Amino acid sequence: METGTKISAIAHVGLIGWALFGGTFRSEPLPMAVQDVTVISAEQFAAMTAQREAPEVPTDPVELQQPAQPDEIETPEPMPEEPPEPEPVAQPEPEPEPEVEPETVDISPEPELIEQPPTLEEPEPEMAALPSPPGPEAEPSPADKIAPEQIAPPPPEAKPDDVETPPVSLDEGAETQQEQQDQTAPEEAAPEIVTEAEEVDDPAPRTSPRPRVRPNRPAPTPEPEVAETPETAPTEPAQNEQAINDALAEALGGGTEPSGPPLTSGEKDAMRVAVSRCWNVGSLSTDALETVVVVGFSLSRDGKVVDGSLRMVGSSGGSDASAKQAYDTARRAILRCGSKGYDLPADKYDQWQDIEITFNPERMRIK
Amino acid sequence: MKLLSKVAAIGALTLIAACSNNDPSALGGGAGGGGALVPGSPSDPRSPAYFQQTVGDRVLFAVDQSTLSPQAQTILQGQADWLLANPDFVANIEGHADEQGTREYNLALGARRANAAREYLISRGVAGNRLTTVSYGKERPIEICSTEECYSKNRRAVTVLTGSTLG
Amino acid sequence: MMKLLTSLLVGLTILSAPVYAQSGPLRLEIDEGIIEPMPFAVPSFVPDGPSAAQYAQDISRVIVSDLTGTGLFREISSDAFISRVSSFDAPVQFADWKAINAQALVTGAVNVSGKRLTVRFRVWDVFSGQELGNGLQFAGTTDGWRRMAHKVADQVYTRITGEGAYFDSRVAFVSESGPKDQRRKRLAIMDYDGANVQYLTDSAAIVLAPRFSPTGDRLLYTSYETGQPRIYLLDVGRVKRQELPTQEGTMSFSPRFSPDGRSIVYSLTQGGNTDLWKMDLASGQSVRLTNTPAIETAPSYSPDGSRIVFESDRSGTPQLYIMPATGGEATRISFGQGRYGTPVWSPRGDLIAFTKQNKGRFHIGVMRTDGSEERLLTASFLDEGPTWSPNGRVIMFTRETQGASGRSTLYSVDISGRNLRPVRTPDGGSDPSWGPLQN
Repeated sequence: METGTKISAIAHVGLIGWALFGGTFRSEPLPMAVQDVTVISAEQFAAMTAQREAPEVPTDPVELQQPAQPDEIETPEPMPEEPPEPEPVAQPEPEPEPEVEPETVDISPEPELIEQPPTLEEPEPEMAALPSPPGPEAEPSPADKIAPEQIAPPPPEAKPDDVETPPVSLDEGAETQQEQQDQTAPEEAAPEIVTEAEEVDDPAPRTSPRPRVRPNRPAPTPEPEVAETPETAPTEPAQNEQAINDALAEALGGGTEPSGPPLTSGEKDAMRVAVSRCWNVGSLSTDALETVVVVGFSLSRDGKVVDGSLRMVGSSGGSDASAKQAYDTARRAILRCGSKGYDLPADKYDQWQDIEITFNPERMRIK
Repeated sequence: MKLLSKVAAIGALTLIAACSNNDPSALGGGAGGGGALVPGSPSDPRSPAYFQQTVGDRVLFAVDQSTLSPQAQTILQGQADWLLANPDFVANIEGHADEQGTREYNLALGARRANAAREYLISRGVAGNRLTTVSYGKERPIEICSTEECYSKNRRAVTVLTGSTLG
Repeated sequence: MMKLLTSLLVGLTILSAPVYAQSGPLRLEIDEGIIEPMPFAVPSFVPDGPSAAQYAQDISRVIVSDLTGTGLFREISSDAFISRVSSFDAPVQFADWKAINAQALVTGAVNVSGKRLTVRFRVWDVFSGQELGNGLQFAGTTDGWRRMAHKVADQVYTRITGEGAYFDSRVAFVSESGPKDQRRKRLAIMDYDGANVQYLTDSAAIVLAPRFSPTGDRLLYTSYETGQPRIYLLDVGRVKRQELPTQEGTMSFSPRFSPDGRSIVYSLTQGGNTDLWKMDLASGQSVRLTNTPAIETAPSYSPDGSRIVFESDRSGTPQLYIMPATGGEATRISFGQGRYGTPVWSPRGDLIAFTKQNKGRFHIGVMRTDGSEERLLTASFLDEGPTWSPNGRVIMFTRETQGASGRSTLYSVDISGRNLRPVRTPDGGSDPSWGPLQN
């Protein structure tokens, strides 16, 4: 990485950008008479039009090169310290624009112009507190998280996490050398987006604005005897194919390793739910929410995602850009929820070594 | 302001009698002024204050409406009579709306109300060139509570005497 | 026995489905996920010297504020950080960020040289260990540090969500102070987040409903300067304004720019009746677009300029209608209960935001351009006047509280109906108009 070249490139682009855009002065050739607004004096106006040329709008962005490889990192030498300039106290506006000081004309008594921009640290989200649900079929209430199933508010001390962790205290866990852990609990979630307009003050029953189909739950216990029989559930063609493939592989004697029995629908559902818990579509654009992506990856025997195995197998219903975002989100889900390894039956490794998941956001769209 | 509206209402009620009675001093007494007639005071029947308080300078409207109720027509008749009797004055009729509506729609609604009052005055013989209108929509409520009691007073057309044509 | 059957089955299948001759991957479909703010971390940008320290801190803070303000992201406090970023070019310790569940990471550096400020940054997808997009550098003056922060935040937002940017934009609005019956109103502009408020008029005359031009260099608004509401055009950069030549002795208001910025559509009241007109700004010539005894106001162009949605009470109550931009027959699109007003076409063209009044409550809502799929996003004593963010994802509007002490405040809400929050302004605010993304 030649620092000199880099600096030169930046300087050039900056200079050209400035030459192109920095000094333009747009005037409106409208034929009507134009008069000064009374709120500024002629001197002020002269001052700010003069000032117009000076401040520079951010110039064209310059792409940076990839960061240096870990082994050849050079710590930048401390720059010879410049004579400390007095920092501007009031923040001048970024645009080359006139400052219209209201004080010059307005005689209203209240303080007018803020010296410092208002701080924005705590814009409290206006999500109302949960009205106590009348029963199990409670009205969905606004929550920061939308999940297929409603989750009650967590115990006050728990940090939100996708995996519930019991609190472990130091003395109890001393023998097992367990690290101290904060108690975690699933974050409070509502089953659907509830807008202010849909909130109700009284818990009286009313029709649900958007009934949702519940996801398939994992079967309570996988039935081992199914192992021998290829599943032929009519609604699950993929499973059928899988069964046939397995049977085929077996019948043809293909594969050096003996192929395990196919996953039960319960085991598949468990895997599906495991990934969907991390599939956060909340930060996807409306376009990306129209895009279906198929993501392929491989797992090692301990259920962890094999490095570099993730890839987009295909996409439909959106632009390349939205497919990219949809893929990023799907990849994040697979990696995040699989960081400790997916819990899959070890004896059926051949069945889940390679996985392709179709992420279809149709039901998660903003409606 | 509330007192003012009440006085205006009383003035409106006494107006029916007033129309046929041309003795201004009798009216001045009727309005409860008492004492000597002070030019320009509410007891002076040729004064804008008299117009405002005794004749009644405003008419009220139902929600979303710009049609004139019989009561409003009575008040406007009084205004017309006064304007005809005092040809030196011109008037600007301000239309208003309550806050229960969007800003720009209310602006148009206020214009409709002001125009309804203006048309009525013209139909009673007042020259159109003495009457202008303006709408304030919901920008200038006279009562600021958020109940129908206040809203009903804000849905109004107010005839404001803008001065004598003689200057 | 089973094996035999299976072999038979295979024997039959192998002819019809030879594509399955090889063992394929396990195929699953997921159609239900979660919606929650994505946790992200922005370690304070690395200053290259003492004079850059404060800027680095402030820029990082504004980036965080922009991102969390969308409701789509959740900041991970620096208290939880394991890694310290002391050099922009040092490799990222992804494990440290994974451990605190930071799914996105923004690293950056700030350089100040005299009045010149440069900001470099990178966006990382922590769990895949990959960079989202490429590193980028913005250069400008120290005066513009806030805009540079917004530009960085816009890049981060776009790279993660795929949504268009909107932080580096401004909003024109009416600053309000005083009680309801003596409200003082002044035209003002500010950054989208309420910072850098500048006043453009004093409070001598009532001003209403400013609208930004498509390029953000001009404003249309209504003022009572002459005693009558009339429309004005103001050059934002030069703070020069002119009254537009509508007919004398009439009331003109509700002006909006066409998408090409060359003409405006507005309401003109004659004889108590309000219709829509269109004015060519170069010539000042107006033509009538509607001609009914009903009130027609609050127009809004479709982004392609071919159609206008507006509010009319021709059916008896205010409802929404769409007509060709040249005038002509209008089609009603609102059919729900209540009254509809102030329709605003989204910059994406797919939705129309509106004010709805029903059963004594006001709502901000959105519907498709044919009136279908109506969704109400808010509910209060008085909400009105929606305006779209440049990317069509967020709506800002006016909320007025009731009673004698009622006050106007600007609010914003995501089009999902989530993330409703006030926009902080020094005084009260109303009638926001969101300008375009600055360049």
